[in-house]
Amino acid sequence: MKITDEALVKLYGDMWLIRLFEQRAADLFATGQLPGFIHLGIGQEAFMAGTYHSLKPGDSVGTSHREHGLLLLLGIEPKSLMAELYGKETGCCKGKGGSMHACLPKNGALGCNGILGSAQTIINGYGFAHHVRNDGHIAVTIFGDGAANRGDVHEGMNLASVLNLPVVFIIVDNGYGISMSSKDSSVVPDLSARAAGYGIPGITVDGNDVLAVIEATGEAFKRAREGGGPSVVEFKTYRHRGHFEGDPTPYRSKDEVAAWMAKDPIPRLEKILLERHILSEDQMQAIKAEKVAIVDEAQKFAEDSPYPTGPESYADVYYHYEGSE
Amino acid sequence: MIGIIANPSSGKDIRRLVAQGTVFDNMEKVNILQRIMAVIHSAGLRDVYMMPDAFSMSERVRNNLKKSLKIHVPIKKLDMICMNDQTDSVRAAKLLQQMGATAIITLGGDGTNRAVAKSCQKVPLIPLSTGTNNVFPKMIEGTMAGMAAVVVERDRDKRFVKMNRRKKLNIYKNHQLIDLALVDAAITNDRFVGARALYEVEALCELAVTTAKPDCLGMSAIAGSILPVGETDDYGLYLKVGKGGELKTWVPMAPGMMQCVTFESYRKIEENERFMIKTKEGMVALDGEREVPFNPEDRIDIALSLEGPYVVDINETLRHASQGGFFIEKDGQGLTKSKAYSFYMK
Repeated sequence: MKITDEALVKLYGDMWLIRLFEQRAADLFATGQLPGFIHLGIGQEAFMAGTYHSLKPGDSVGTSHREHGLLLLLGIEPKSLMAELYGKETGCCKGKGGSMHACLPKNGALGCNGILGSAQTIINGYGFAHHVRNDGHIAVTIFGDGAANRGDVHEGMNLASVLNLPVVFIIVDNGYGISMSSKDSSVVPDLSARAAGYGIPGITVDGNDVLAVIEATGEAFKRAREGGGPSVVEFKTYRHRGHFEGDPTPYRSKDEVAAWMAKDPIPRLEKILLERHILSEDQMQAIKAEKVAIVDEAQKFAEDSPYPTGPESYADVYYHYEGSE
Repeated sequence: MIGIIANPSSGKDIRRLVAQGTVFDNMEKVNILQRIMAVIHSAGLRDVYMMPDAFSMSERVRNNLKKSLKIHVPIKKLDMICMNDQTDSVRAAKLLQQMGATAIITLGGDGTNRAVAKSCQKVPLIPLSTGTNNVFPKMIEGTMAGMAAVVVERDRDKRFVKMNRRKKLNIYKNHQLIDLALVDAAITNDRFVGARALYEVEALCELAVTTAKPDCLGMSAIAGSILPVGETDDYGLYLKVGKGGELKTWVPMAPGMMQCVTFESYRKIEENERFMIKTKEGMVALDGEREVPFNPEDRIDIALSLEGPYVVDINETLRHASQGGFFIEKDGQGLTKSKAYSFYMK
């Protein structure tokens, strides 16, 4: 696999931006400054940064509820996303999408559907559009091991295969669907095996190895762009935090958490960068400091921004048909 | 005692995307294990240990056989912590050797057997392929593997068991022995391990093989397209790959994927010959998977050893067992009694 040193440095920065943004969100939620629920992707940065690396502007990407990080990389400004988490009117959805539904459709960041598992049929619409336009773009849908067991996912995979759509199904198996272990919710440990039932390829990759992610998504996306049809790529990873902030995670053992912490994707990339003499320790610290400053700025912007008030509070919430009152 | 190491991760690598490889689902591995265990059970053998895994294959085998054949197969799990990676196979093989296993049945690919061979030099292997790019393990019906395991377990005098010792390539980084390959060590210009599986011939610079087979896929097939080398020949092959060469061959690199390879030179590698690779920076891929990165300041040496793992020749073992009357029914006792065996074991 070929990847430039510059690209690796960018990946490293991207992964730190995601982690620092999420860690800040965790702190803000803990102190009651963020409303609602948030689900954080700390520990899953490699699959987000690696997947983004293989995308092209114009591709359509449906995320799940744990991919703030991928939304940042797809072009939602950190200030805009942080304001969205706060529910402020300067947020990317004017504060009405929040953590769960933050999106930026003009950049192909479709956001998350409220019903997990249903987006895998909807993504076929985007895939079909790219197919009809013959624009060389693809549609990617990201969902977890829990959603993978829902019926719509299988309907979506089947239709994508029947129509040979440029759709890539990315399954993020982070070990648990809320508190249900993926070992207990599926009879196949590698969910990519489901692809065989729809006559499409499926592979399972170490989702904490950003370079493995890049190679896997690179080949799957290339295949879809070139008319090869859909495929399933499964990433094995782990969320360092609970399902939601505040989840005490009684369902997982200390040993299990420790084993996965040892597979933390950021130190793994740092080891490669040092071994290959691409970055020094000082340079890595400088990159991290740069991302801290971005997150500081995002937090300040969000704090200083107003909440939507008056009629604006209700705008864009319900669709008004022509002639309706 | 018979040991079983089934790798739950084999059969799902990137070659399913870039070539015409098929997914080898773990339920199929369980099915193969059921056939193996049913045979072992029918021969009256009860002492079987299996590597634990996240998919709990041993429990599934036990439960499925209880439901389908109404038999209780007391398959035991090795007492080890499961890390869900290649090191599980290494530790399981070491344990089985320490516990005195007479044979280890492996389900996986070249990589699985490489992991087993790292820690187990004495116990003969019965390797079954659960993938498409494999050279070391055989694609053979599980029932036959179970029968071979029964013969190995019963035939303590080794009258019928036919096995051979395979070769291996020892890999040295800066004069330290760090790894081994059972079939091939490929030097590529890749800088990163990535998704591990090697499938692009453009990345290949040098290649050392223990076995060169034109009737297989991947690295061994590259060497096999020039000069076939058998599993028991006492030499290997080294090839310098590069655009500057004149010799070109067509090689099946992956399922359904033929690629043209250009060679600068090739030569035999003799027993215990140790040589330094020429490539300055890149990756050593072992048995088809990128494993060992190296920089310009590193030195990589490869040495051919004839002292690799012992492998049971399933076909020959069953043939000799048959010729020796191993399978003849005696006194209506059937396979569940050991009388017939004990008669012939005298």
